[in-house]
Amino acid sequence: MKLRQDLVLRKVGDDYIMVDPSQGMVDLSKVHTLNETAAWLWEQLTGKEVNVEQIATRLCERYDVSREKAIADAESLIQEFDKAGLLEA
Amino acid sequence: MEAEKKPILTNHYYEIAGLQLELRFPSTLNLDNVLSSFVGFRKDRGDGTSVAVVTFKEEEVPSEEEWGALRSDISLVWGDNFRFYEQEGAFVTLIKHNVKDKQWMMKSTKDFRESVLYGKSEDPRMGEFVSWLLMVVFGQVGLQHQLILIHASVIAYKNKQGVAFLGKSGTGKSTHSRLWLQHIPNTELLNDDNPVVRLEEDGKVMIYGTPWSGKTPCYKDKRVELKGFVRLEQAPLNRFTRKKGMEGLIAVLPSCTALRWNKDLFNAMTDTLSQLVDRVNVGHLECLPDADAAKMSHKALFYEKNSDEVVA
Repeated sequence: MKLRQDLVLRKVGDDYIMVDPSQGMVDLSKVHTLNETAAWLWEQLTGKEVNVEQIATRLCERYDVSREKAIADAESLIQEFDKAGLLEA
Repeated sequence: MEAEKKPILTNHYYEIAGLQLELRFPSTLNLDNVLSSFVGFRKDRGDGTSVAVVTFKEEEVPSEEEWGALRSDISLVWGDNFRFYEQEGAFVTLIKHNVKDKQWMMKSTKDFRESVLYGKSEDPRMGEFVSWLLMVVFGQVGLQHQLILIHASVIAYKNKQGVAFLGKSGTGKSTHSRLWLQHIPNTELLNDDNPVVRLEEDGKVMIYGTPWSGKTPCYKDKRVELKGFVRLEQAPLNRFTRKKGMEGLIAVLPSCTALRWNKDLFNAMTDTLSQLVDRVNVGHLECLPDADAAKMSHKALFYEKNSDEVVA
């Protein structure tokens, strides 16, 4: 599992965003917003293999958080990314 | 053996928003008659800096199997008669006609730096078609120079600052500009449909007039500093809301021209736009078509915080 390489994370004002141009006949382009932690993780994980373990480890390194909580957060983050279509097919 | 007779071409140079556009058209054509809105942008001589070259070929439009994969058939200007195709190494823009002889086609490299235009010079609508196809070229090529062709009506205020009014067709962009002209002193229409916004090397954001201005003949080779973007929405009241960061980007994005199918061009646009919305004001104006609406957007941009001026 990998993050989509074609998306570019940008900081606009105080917001972290990614613009995803739709490829269909009708323009259904999307703008995704990430919070600071998700944006930081996105940068850390770009181009790398993504899994719950890895994300949890990074979260534990950066934040004062229990392993269980980090794993739960990592799981929900991957779900969110997947739902939003941010993972490579 | 008879040699193929090739028409002699003349090079024409235009400067739009600081970028040189080069046209190679048959010498027998009076291009100033065909492209009258471009006359004010003409350069006497070109230099080696053309960002795009467009060559006219008075030939029949290549047949359908050479167009490629259909990407879009939506154009506000041409309705059902527009098609946009992608093929290996090229984009094809087509203006259809049920008479094959009257079709116009343009084949461009993926970065739009080189295009070939196919059509018939006796077509009475040649000027209209060529002008629009050149807008397609310029809009895409400009993205590679921190420049975005936007869909907006623009007012120049005190000859030094510009405000771009955005909105879907029929929202009242032109109407809002007219209201400024009537009710705000020191205002001038800079462009009524397709101005260019450019992030200059010194970090300033400038807005330029262009040879494209929709139904209003307003083709000014002129630039002012961009004060802000205002997205208009018809409403039973007048209310101005400032937009920052992501909200600002979302307010401006739908009015920008970039092909969604070319990642490089689209990313270039988003890069530039991200920087623009950090540097200028962005607002949303719910409005009536009245004088108070114009006074409100004027006050919000020039007399409130984030403004250079203070309330007198």
